[in-house]
Amino acid sequence: MRFKSIFIIAVLFPLLCLSQQQVEKTMDTVLTQQLNEVVVTATRTIRQLSSLPLPVQIIAKKELKETGSTRLDAILNEQTGLITVQNFIGGEGIQMQGLESEYTLVLIDGVPLIGRSAGTLDLSRLSVGNIKQIEIVKGASSSLYGSEALGGVINIITDKSNRNGIHGNLMHRFGTFNEQETNINLDYKKERITLGAFINRSSSNGYDLNNATNVNTLDPYFNYTFNTKLSYDITENTNLFASTRYFLQDSDYIPTDTEAGESEVREWNAHLKANHKYNEKWSSYFEFYASRYFAKDFLNNVEDNTLFSESFYKEVLIRPEIRATYKVNNKSSFIGGLGLDYEALNRADFSTTPKLTSPFMYLQYDTNPKEDLNIILGARFDGHNEYNSQFSPKVAFRYQIFDKLAAKGSVGYGFKAPDFRQLYFDLQGIAGYTILGYNVVNTRIPEMLDSGEIGSENDIFVPLSNFNDKLNPENSISYNFGLTYNPISELKLEVNYFRNDIKDLIDNQLIANKTNGSGVYSYQNIKKAFTQGIEFNSSWRISNSLKIAGGYQFLLAKDKDAVESFKNGGAFASFPGQSAFQLKESDYFGLFNRSKHMANFKVFYSNTQNKFNTNIRGTYRSKYGVLDTNNNTYLDKYDDLVDAYTMWNWAINKTFKENYELGIGVDNIFDFTDEPTSNNDFTFINNIPGRIFFTKLNIQF
Amino acid sequence: MKTVKLITLLALFISISSCSNDNDDPQLLQIEIDSVLNLHAPQEGGIDQMGNPIPISGEFTKFDFSTGATTTSSTEWDIAFRGTSIIINGGVSSGTTDEPERTGNAAAYIGTGTMSGVKAVNTSYLEQDSVNGYVLSNWYTYAGPPTHLISPTAGKLLIIKTRDAKYAKIEILSYYKDAPENPDAYSDEERYYTFNYVYQPNQGELTFE
Repeated sequence: MRFKSIFIIAVLFPLLCLSQQQVEKTMDTVLTQQLNEVVVTATRTIRQLSSLPLPVQIIAKKELKETGSTRLDAILNEQTGLITVQNFIGGEGIQMQGLESEYTLVLIDGVPLIGRSAGTLDLSRLSVGNIKQIEIVKGASSSLYGSEALGGVINIITDKSNRNGIHGNLMHRFGTFNEQETNINLDYKKERITLGAFINRSSSNGYDLNNATNVNTLDPYFNYTFNTKLSYDITENTNLFASTRYFLQDSDYIPTDTEAGESEVREWNAHLKANHKYNEKWSSYFEFYASRYFAKDFLNNVEDNTLFSESFYKEVLIRPEIRATYKVNNKSSFIGGLGLDYEALNRADFSTTPKLTSPFMYLQYDTNPKEDLNIILGARFDGHNEYNSQFSPKVAFRYQIFDKLAAKGSVGYGFKAPDFRQLYFDLQGIAGYTILGYNVVNTRIPEMLDSGEIGSENDIFVPLSNFNDKLNPENSISYNFGLTYNPISELKLEVNYFRNDIKDLIDNQLIANKTNGSGVYSYQNIKKAFTQGIEFNSSWRISNSLKIAGGYQFLLAKDKDAVESFKNGGAFASFPGQSAFQLKESDYFGLFNRSKHMANFKVFYSNTQNKFNTNIRGTYRSKYGVLDTNNNTYLDKYDDLVDAYTMWNWAINKTFKENYELGIGVDNIFDFTDEPTSNNDFTFINNIPGRIFFTKLNIQF
Repeated sequence: MKTVKLITLLALFISISSCSNDNDDPQLLQIEIDSVLNLHAPQEGGIDQMGNPIPISGEFTKFDFSTGATTTSSTEWDIAFRGTSIIINGGVSSGTTDEPERTGNAAAYIGTGTMSGVKAVNTSYLEQDSVNGYVLSNWYTYAGPPTHLISPTAGKLLIIKTRDAKYAKIEILSYYKDAPENPDAYSDEERYYTFNYVYQPNQGELTFE
């Protein structure tokens, strides 16, 4: 029921208001705003948001400032169809179109972030203090970006000064749980040179949602982000850009009563880019990017302070790339690129220190055969030695049916390269089992036979010849079809249907028995799944000072083999201590951690006369499952699901004497948390700490 | 045409009544439907506090379908339990410490279905314990973090040919003492089997009805 009312508010409210109120004529400002909304992520060229044939969302700096958000995960959670999900190992990754965070590429100024030690890219490590806008492209985008862009791309565009002289701002935010966040931005611009520096410090005392244990839900931490940037217009047609970023985080690591330690992350990226425009038709870009991510942790036994365990993870990415654009005429253009990825990883439990070199090239044709029709054709090739090379095509169109109504659609191929674990793991588990990467099975299994770890050939269940071919990257075909309707220019309504057909999902499987009674596991292309749904977005600028926006996503996400198994009567469930019963086809709930319904509703109000702005934002997530609780490994309707929840956030900001802004706010007003209610209960929502009061001061100079 | 129909009906009638005559056969023993609560199956070894594996040892708890009770007999047993390991009195040892000698000719497989749904034994699936492992090793699911529970996988039945060629089916309900409704791997005592079983005491009879 709660969902229904939210749905009505989110999607229909703007329409209801329309009939009741006289709309102010603010055509000009709205039009300029819409024209100003340009996106670079979707096509790798500057494109107006409203003209794109792909589903794209923008989060503008204004929204970041007004909401008082400081970390990327918080603001993404307020966008339609996006939710950050915590895995048991930690790290908060984004779920987009029902796909897990491994399948969304995250970029800063067009270059990728690395450090997915357990598949998840932890978005809480990203400060939003120097961001101009966040661009979110949904649907497979491997035709431009290659691996990981299977579900979509999030590109964080950092800010750049456009005023001459020295400017900057200083921000401090203080909140519940002793959350401290400090930003210093310094910019210098003189004619053709722009310099920028950004420092962020973030810390928290952590929090504890489960009083039954002596262990924190989030351990105390602090981190720093440093970013420097240089942009130099050598000539009118030549620009040089350089950026470096360094991130450092230290935190306590206390997973149990008996072990305690620390963990640290060190990450840097260096990004160099030179553009040159040769003439009206040709321009080119030379780009060089390097990034290194280092994480390590240790645990000591509390009793005698001896070492219990330690691990490390060291990843390097180096990418030179050249890119060129060619404008055929006013209607058509090409963009193409050529580059090389060099990746190396050194981590605990690996058979080798893998080094991969993969060349890539891509080409995209963007054309308007008629005034009301835009077509994009693109493809990319990624060559690999260690797993199968990939060819990723994509086609997209946008057709302006009437003045106010446009249709758009796209079909594309997406893939995610096998991660290093899946290729090179050589892990001896504490319980005696072994996990081998796909590429080491053929060398390690014979070794284990020789050493007697495996008794005989008969103990090998999966023939070694199955590991002769290369592993296939996980891949999908993604479909997006949508309509955009602007009944009046202040009101924007969008609907988008999506489907991702994913195959070759990599999972581990028992391949041999060991003489110690445990097993040897390795990775193979096993599973198939799909996600599909519908997304609605609406935004209405009622007046210059009032804006309402709402969004909703309906999602189905299922494992295809599970669907078959339920259909064929092969799925059963049993409650603890009771007999099993057969499940019906309709009992299958779908993949873990997916909510069928997600909605958001936001009101932004700004008063220019009294120089304040305020906003209230609500998000809703319907029930979902994180664990199988009735002994069949599936999620079905008899499982113990995590209840639906709603969260409301509020913020108000007031400007004094032009340059001072004071803000206060409450995140999670109704103090929602997932605290265990009994001994057998667990905290499944670890990333929602409860109500946070905060205040912030921003000084502009 | 009418006569043909009549003859068919008559033939059907005769065959049905002859069937019911079979069922009245006084020679057949009644099928036994029973359950066992808290069959204790302790083990030694496993994983020490530092997480290092130690070879598993300890006596298996043996069960005899003909008496419906546990036994210490070295020959008169059908299946035996130790921790999560279940062995049958047929085949050869996989070589773990304290495994009893298999003196019988028992066989088994893991069937799929509900207790009432599996009505007969499919003898083509029957296998014996071997050096490669136990036939009945895949009966449970380990949940991993955070619950760490060991639960009988729903819809998995142990189908057993006893040492003397009789058949039984078992549905394990719990691995924790007193088969709690909300088991807790941290506080409930583990290695206590609770199961339902159906035993067909007539030799060679493959059905459970």
